[in-house]
Amino acid sequence: MTTNRNDPAVRDAAERLDRAWRSGVPCAPVRDLLPGGDLDAAYAVQSLLTGRRLAEGRRITGWKVGLTSPAVQRQLGVDTPDFGALFDDTAVPDGAELPWGAVLQPKAEAEVALVLEHDLPHERHTVADVIRATAFALPAVEVVGSRIRDWDITAVDTVADNASSGAYVLGTRPVPLRDLDLRTAGMVLERRGEPVSTGAGVACLGHPLHAAVWLADTLVRLGTPLRAGDTVLTGALGPMAAVAPGDVLEARIDGLGSVRAAFGPAAAEGDPR
Amino acid sequence: MTPADPTPPAVPVDPAALAEALDTAARAARPLPGGGSGLTTTAEAYTVQEALLARRFARGERPTGVKLGFTSAAKMRQMGVSDLIHGRLTDRMEIPDGGRCDVSGLIHPRIEPEIAFLLGAVLTPGGDPAAAVAAVAPALEVIDSRYDGFRFSLPEVIADNTSAAGYALGPWTPAGALGGLRSLADLGVVLEVDGRPAETGSTAAILGDPLRALAAAARLAGPLAAGTVVLAGAATAAVPLPPGTYVRATVARLGSVGLTTGEGS
Repeated sequence: MTTNRNDPAVRDAAERLDRAWRSGVPCAPVRDLLPGGDLDAAYAVQSLLTGRRLAEGRRITGWKVGLTSPAVQRQLGVDTPDFGALFDDTAVPDGAELPWGAVLQPKAEAEVALVLEHDLPHERHTVADVIRATAFALPAVEVVGSRIRDWDITAVDTVADNASSGAYVLGTRPVPLRDLDLRTAGMVLERRGEPVSTGAGVACLGHPLHAAVWLADTLVRLGTPLRAGDTVLTGALGPMAAVAPGDVLEARIDGLGSVRAAFGPAAAEGDPR
Repeated sequence: MTPADPTPPAVPVDPAALAEALDTAARAARPLPGGGSGLTTTAEAYTVQEALLARRFARGERPTGVKLGFTSAAKMRQMGVSDLIHGRLTDRMEIPDGGRCDVSGLIHPRIEPEIAFLLGAVLTPGGDPAAAVAAVAPALEVIDSRYDGFRFSLPEVIADNTSAAGYALGPWTPAGALGGLRSLADLGVVLEVDGRPAETGSTAAILGDPLRALAAAARLAGPLAAGTVVLAGAATAAVPLPPGTYVRATVARLGSVGLTTGEGS
């Protein structure tokens, strides 16, 4: 990291995002505050905000990898994924209702989650390292959200905003990697029986395990390596799906089973959103 | 709504007239007042049911199978009766899995999760039901009493083809893949409405074991030919089926079946 968490620009950007997160009112992008295209500065903002969440008593339960689709990378003008932290209070049980408004401007993605049983401390990891460190896989729905108004984001904005992380739902039936062909595993995200997003494992950096390798290496470089017990959301297997109040979205991933994200009814009148 | 007829119906009952009244009520989606048919015995009631189905067969419907009613304690409580009854299924009643059930032509539809048997051999009364089953599937049954407010006597609901209105079948699992049909006796069942669980239960609610319902079907309806579909009865209470709804039943080990009622108004 070249940018310090105490840099005034970093602190201003963190302040803007934190205010949006706390108030539930989306804010302007933060890219105007940070040096153009400087992802280090953006991660410094994320790190500052993660520090605040931890100081408030939260626990990091794992990490998410974002920007794993070539199409999304092109759209945002980057050639690398990004990551954000998962917190204990953003894990939602399968099918449990997430109150509308809990995640700002929510959308949903279906992903493969890996749960680790060994640390990944090396400077560079291989797919074999990740396979050996993984206890099991679970199907997951990631509810992404943006604190930035209308999702008007660049890579800098989403990185600063904890990779647009919102909440996540894990399935409950662990499957060992040996029983899965994640490259060609089909994914369908359904709303009321109709597909709203479809894809396959290959859409996630060619293979969800590739995303985990990238994350393992990146986190070692930043001094917070992946640890036994961490959950890794490896990235979307298809396009993000819009969600509306009251929706229930069910993700099915071949070999992994299904998991449901349920959203509460619209916020009461007078809510600023 | 049809106003109640102040004069009691003629006795003895005229099966053809009752069948016509039920047929008209279904086609016009105008319910009859329950309790006024004059039917007193189940034998009379099944005569009316046969006359009703004969009218439909004459219009080109083809029989596809048999359904059972009042096979669960929950259903008996809901309907206030205690006897097992049966009705007939036709091709016109089948809704494709994932397809649309047009509820605009129905009176007050409800839906319930079931399991369905496909017979691979004839099942005679007293025969071994397990030996006759070729495959098993999760199923949804749409019911729609032709009597106002679902209020009727036991003979009346029998005459009304046991409120049957439609059914959808999920994927068939061959009996041989289930490791013995006794394994069907306690499968978890969830009925979801728009993705949220509305009713949950077990196939054990179907007479303790759905195979008993199949045996009852043969006993009540006579020999059942190979190729017959048997809806064994509801595993949970029925729920209302309004427009704009997506309903899915999932049965452990058998999978899911769903239908939509299209967009709401």
